[in-house]
Parts: sequence; structure tokens; C-alpha cells
Amino acid sequence: MRVQVKLYATLREYAPSNTEIGASFVVEFDGNTLGELVQRLGFEIDRAKIVMINGNRVVDMSTPVNEDDLVVIFPPVGGG
Amino acid sequence: MSKILRIDMSDLSHKWEAVPKEYEILAGRAFTSAVVNKEVEPMSHPLRENNMFVISPGLLAGTPAPSSGRLSVGAKSPLTGGIKEANAGGLTADRLARIGIRGIIIDGAPSRGSKDWYSIVVRKDNCEIVKTNNYADKGLYELIGKIWKDYPVKPGIIGCGIAGQRLMKCAGVFGNNPENTDPGRYAGRGGLGAVLGSKRIVAIISDSTGGEIPTPKDKERFDRGRKALREALDKHPVTGKLTSDDGKPFGGLKNYGTNILQNILNEAGGLPSMGFSSGRFDGAAKISGEAVHELVDKTKKKFGDAAEASYAHACHPGCVMRCSNAVPYEKTGKLHVSPLEYESAWALGTNLGIGVLHDVAELNRLCNDLGLDTIEAGNTLAMLMEGGLIKYGDGPGAIKALKEAYSTDSALGRLVCSGTQTAGEALGVTRIPVVKGQALPAYDPRPIRGIGVTYATTTMGADHTAGYTIAAEILGIKGTVTDPRALNKAELSRAFQATTAYIDATGYCLFIAFCILDDDDGFKGMTDSVNGFLGKDIDVTEYGMAILKNERAFNKNAGFTEKDDRLPEFFRTEPLPPHNVTFDVTDAELDAVFKGM
Ligand code: SF4
Repeated sequence: MRVQVKLYATLREYAPSNTEIGASFVVEFDGNTLGELVQRLGFEIDRAKIVMINGNRVVDMSTPVNEDDLVVIFPPVGGG
Repeated sequence: MSKILRIDMSDLSHKWEAVPKEYEILAGRAFTSAVVNKEVEPMSHPLRENNMFVISPGLLAGTPAPSSGRLSVGAKSPLTGGIKEANAGGLTADRLARIGIRGIIIDGAPSRGSKDWYSIVVRKDNCEIVKTNNYADKGLYELIGKIWKDYPVKPGIIGCGIAGQRLMKCAGVFGNNPENTDPGRYAGRGGLGAVLGSKRIVAIISDSTGGEIPTPKDKERFDRGRKALREALDKHPVTGKLTSDDGKPFGGLKNYGTNILQNILNEAGGLPSMGFSSGRFDGAAKISGEAVHELVDKTKKKFGDAAEASYAHACHPGCVMRCSNAVPYEKTGKLHVSPLEYESAWALGTNLGIGVLHDVAELNRLCNDLGLDTIEAGNTLAMLMEGGLIKYGDGPGAIKALKEAYSTDSALGRLVCSGTQTAGEALGVTRIPVVKGQALPAYDPRPIRGIGVTYATTTMGADHTAGYTIAAEILGIKGTVTDPRALNKAELSRAFQATTAYIDATGYCLFIAFCILDDDDGFKGMTDSVNGFLGKDIDVTEYGMAILKNERAFNKNAGFTEKDDRLPEFFRTEPLPPHNVTFDVTDAELDAVFKGM
């Protein structure tokens, strides 16, 4: 299936090298769940601290991902 | 031995006092709020002689405890009419702590009609009140350079700029950074710069020559605590090292600063943009922490060592988390502004619909130079946009309006420094984002309701740092909250407000919270270092609540009631896209936060 992915902060290095900040890129993968998508992207699951699928926050790595979903992933961040 | 310096500006006198028993374990915010509550007449006019200006380094300032050099300033706020504590990094907390000063209490004011300006120079066992008319009416970049020439001992400097000298309610208290290249270390909020201006003080200059590192009562415990905290901070992905062992970017704050939040709030739909009318901004990525990181790398590549650009910059000596940065001019590689942090990039960028990094940095530099709080000034500019004087998104227009503030006779210049509420009302705006007269910061309370509870109920006026529930609500620190309704917002906000008050007293930077709320060893390290320093155990929540009690007592005596603990109406009636939600926490829930206090 094909999904759109956005990676931010320290995870940006796992995006294709010329991806602009805040831009999404297409990922094709065989799995069904968020956890499998993260694996496909190539970083450890606990680095995917804050995940939003189509703008909604999800915490369960077994959440299903569907064709054309927009999956946004952040590492642990803080500030203020 | 710690002591208190009392200054009376009505006769330019000063005296030294021993720290009284009741203030023995109080420092930072605990000290300033206790003094303001006890000694300031609650109904006094904040910009006349009966208000006081109180300064106190955090308890552990000047010691080797990591990131512990924060300074608190307090007074009755001209912006809110209530009590105010604001805190910042810079050099002053370290300098004062090393010469044994627990607090400076400034009372009185020169007689009305007096035209002279003064500065206070504090040294070990010595204080001078000097006439410095040549320091007034100057941009602060120039002023701090001049002061370091006049006093070549690398002193800490805090003070007020042109805005404070003209008693404007957007005026913050500036502080010089460790390199003295930027006056951008602001105890920004509440208009406290104007309180200094009302006392005819431009600068407070602290020289630690001959001073020494404060000594803990129980050194072994203090050392054990600070080392454990240091270790926890270093290995946490938010507060940790710049790169991991394999050379990959690791610590979020060091790599991207606080402005790492720009993109996440945007994606979460909680980033207030264009005067709190949307939760998303399509220019957010261009002014985010990631964009600053890229600009710094690019500039360093082009200009090498000549580049005045950095991330992982420390705002005070001894900060290990180093969230600060130095943003360069892209063309020359020279310093444009330091720091550009999240709240400022939001207030002067997102909130105005300005997605051009250069324009946002320029607005921030102007605020630093004029002595303005970036959050209040940004929201005030948004009122000019709501009121139709400038268009949303017009960076050059906003810069031009802010530059008017240098002029002595420009009504527009006064208006941009007058505060969000004053400017909004003057321009017929009905959606003015303030609580107790102070403008909201960078989190919309409609999708993120816990922070809305903090904005409404803190004594400080809308202030995110007073109880940073964002950590739990958005960032997943201390519990993972998927549905914001699942958590009792009152409880969450109260717990954060008490812990925050404690941290603000210790001198630790509030950002240690990202680590210690996640890591029990880090938390114990923090309390061990504090208890070891004092030589006795204090309870975090109890100590924090005692501070909040002082602050609430002052506001009550100044005429505040629970009716003041409310958000403006439009947050309840205008749904915020993209989630199209309103702030629906009931008044009863808000009042439950501090019931019985
Ligand atoms: S983390 Fe940032 S704000 Fe806090 S003390 Fe360090 S540099 Fe200053």
C-alpha cells in the first residue's frame, strides 16, 4: 500500500534527502500497522513518540494504516 | 552568608540586611512572591512609588548544579494589576549568587518631575547608585556593549529599554547573554520593565569579582544529586546531548531549541495562527526550529568560523540542556538575533501570519533592542492587524510599525508597546486574547484544554510556563494522553502549577521537567541537590503550593475574584479549525483548581 509520511526533528534523516521541512513523501510498504510502517522507515519504535494519522493522535503501534493515510511522526520533543 | 540588599529610590539610599528566618529557605520565585505579598500595598499603582521591584537568584544559582542559573524578578504587574514573577537566564543570577545576595528589594521612586536616570552597581559588600543619563533612550544592543566597556569585568546586566523607560505595558526586563552579544535574555512578561522605568532605573549591573561559589550544607548529598540529575538530563532525548555516540542528532532542545514545537503544534492543530483564528499555519515549517538548524548549518558552511550562528547555545553559565540559539543574517553570517525561541517565533511569526524567517528574526531583534516582551508585543501587533492597520502576513508592515516605537512622539509607536488589551480596545477589536490583561502564548486552549485551565487560573495572567500541561497533553511526558478529556484538567493543571513554582524557586530551568517527570532518578537527583544544599528536606508540592498561596493572597487583596479566572468569550463561541472545537471546560471545573486556597 502507499501512504504519505512526514518526519520531523531528529527523524528527518530517515526521509529522502531533499525532502523539505514539513513536506510529506510517499512510502510503499507491505504491512498493515503503524509499527510495521515505522520498521519500514528504518528507526526504532520507541523513537516514534508522537504519531498522528490524518491529524489524530495515536499511541498504539498496532493501529492499522490505510491506503493514502497521512502519517506524521515526531521523536520525543519538549520546549516552551 | 546570604544577605538582602534594600534600595530606596526616593532618597537613593541603600542598606544591607541579614536574611530573616521566615525567608531562610526561600529563593527565586519563592522569595520574590513572598516579599511582594508581604510588603507591596496590593492596591498601589504599579507604576508609582509604592510598588517594589524584587530580584532573587534561584536557590542553586552560582553552584555547579546543571542548568541552575535562573533569575526571578517580581513586582505588582502594570499589565495585569496582580502579582508577577518572571524569570530568565543570563549572567545576573550567577553574579549575584557568587557575592552572596539572596535578594534585592527596590522601593520608592525619585520625586515626580525628576528627569535623571540611574543604574545600580552591585559588588561584593558594596552598592552604588549612579546617575547614568547617558544610558537612557538607547537601543539595548548598543547599551550592553557600552556597559561592558564602562565596567570591564563581564558583569551581569538586567534593566529596561526605551519601552520600559516610557512606562509601556509591553516592556520586559532584559538581560545580557553570556557573550554580551544580545540583550535577549528576557524576564519578559507582565510589563515589569515599566516598573523599573517608573523607578528611573535603566540597568542593574552585577560584578562578582571576589565572590565565591555558594557552599551546600550537605555537600555529599548535593553532589550526588546534581550528578544524578546531570546524567538523567544527558541521556534523555529531549534534554540530552547534541549527537548520539554514532554521531546522529540526538537531543531535541540542543538541535532545534524550543522552536521544535512549531511543527508539532501545527500538525496537532493547536498552533494559534493569525490572531487565534486557526490551529494551523502553512508557513510554520519555514520559521520552525528545524529551519533555524538548517540556516545555522548553511551559514557555518559558507562563512566557517566567522559565522555568528549556533544552536545548542547556553543562556547562562552552566546550562547543560542548551536550548538557546544564535540566528544569523543569511547574507552576511553575522548575528541577527539570539535567541529565537518558540514563543517569539510564534508571537511574531505564526500569530501574525508571517512565514519569512528573516522578518520574524528582525521583529525579535527590534523587541530585544526596544526592551519589549515578544509575546505581548506580537499579540499587540496582531491587534493592529485585527483592527485593520496592517494586513496579516505583512512582515515589512509589522517591522515598520514596531520601528515607530523608537520615536518619542509617535502615537502608533506608543500603541504597539501598550499591550494587547489596550491596543485591541483602542482599535475596536472584540476578540482580544488575554487573561487578566496578559496576552495568551503559543498554544490554543480550544484543542488543548489543560493549558487553557492554566491560562485561566494562574495568578500571572495567561502564562504557559505557570503550569505546562502541554508536556502531558501533547508531548506525552508523564503519561500518554490520547483524548484530552480523559484527564482531569483541574488536577493536571494544579499539579503542574505547584511543581513549576518549586522549580522556579530552585534556579533550575523549567525545562528539566521534560526529563525529571519521565525519569525517577532524575527527579531524585533534583530533590537531593536542593535538600543537600539546604541541609534539610523540603516537600516539592508543599513548597510549591506555599508559593502559589502567597501569589493568590496578593491577587485577592488586589481585588481579584474567581470571575477573573476566565478565558475571553470568543474561545467558547468560535470553533477553531481544523478540529472545530471550542473551550468547553466549565466555570465550576476552573474554580475547582484552587478551591479552598
Ligand atoms: S535549557 Fe534553555 S532556557 Fe533553560 S537554562 Fe538552558 S539555555 Fe536557558
